[in-house]
Amino acid sequence: MTEPQQFEAFLRDYQNMVFSTAMRLLANPTEAQDVSQEVFLRAYERFGELKDSPTAGGWLKTVATNLSLNHLSRYRARWSFFSEMFRPDDDGHDEPEMDFASPVDVGEAVEASERREFVEQALKSLPPVQRVPLVLYHLEGLQYDEIAAKLGVSMGKVKTDIFRGREALRKKLRLKLADEPA
Amino acid sequence: MKPDYEKQLEARVNEELKALGELAAPAGFASRVMRVIEQRHFVPWYQRAWQTWPVAWQAVSLVLMLAAVGGICFGLGELLTAAGSSQYAKTVGGWFASVGVIWKTLGVLANAAIMAVRQIGTGVIIAGLVVLAAAYAACLSLGSVYVRFAMARR
Repeated sequence: MTEPQQFEAFLRDYQNMVFSTAMRLLANPTEAQDVSQEVFLRAYERFGELKDSPTAGGWLKTVATNLSLNHLSRYRARWSFFSEMFRPDDDGHDEPEMDFASPVDVGEAVEASERREFVEQALKSLPPVQRVPLVLYHLEGLQYDEIAAKLGVSMGKVKTDIFRGREALRKKLRLKLADEPA
Repeated sequence: MKPDYEKQLEARVNEELKALGELAAPAGFASRVMRVIEQRHFVPWYQRAWQTWPVAWQAVSLVLMLAAVGGICFGLGELLTAAGSSQYAKTVGGWFASVGVIWKTLGVLANAAIMAVRQIGTGVIIAGLVVLAAAYAACLSLGSVYVRFAMARR
């Protein structure tokens, strides 16, 4: 097998993981594809080290996360002023509420794949200020201090944004909790 | 907010998000990346990023660049030393003659602007500035509404 063929096999093994990471952080398929492509172009330059490395997946995930965050800060900073201007608070209340099927109402009838799609859409609909730390915490497994360092904000803000993101997600998905606030 | 509620919420959201699994990369993504790699492969080394050049060429280019910078510094030093001589002073003076013409033109335009302001009167000027500020604020507000709307629709 030639090196390009080996790399193509490597790419096919990891493409979903890299794309998922970029897509959930950016919430935009075109941008996620561009970032994923850049991740693999960088991987190609270091393929000699990566092809037999057991930590190749971790390396790809870290590069995908960092490039996505760079992309967000570089290309979207100019829009954040406008996008935040009419946001009364940070929990996305001014965005139209999506009508998701409730797992309690529909129960077993809702297929797991459909449910995942609903959750993906709900996650995508969150404002970046909530979605990004939420994804980094729950899906990328980073701790609050690591997220704060990556995003260049205080740990208090990270905790608040994650809590608001969870709350927004709970409302969008109509999740039932025992100690629900009145 | 109750700590118990926060813990329950975290656990519940974690459960939902962990169940997501991986998203499928778009069909043709791998081919697209391979095509880009192939295209880059056929690009001659001197058209790629300097960091990817062969080491020998990196060294040669570095030496050439240092020589060029050194040459420019030496040349500038010589020029400044020779600037005292009349021939060079005339040459340099000639370069700045055109700058003097531009400066005079700007002066005439500024005088014309001052005269126009005196003729129109400050009231009209202030009203014009107010209209301009209002138009700017309207553009900013409309732009913000459109961006917000576009983002909400994505």
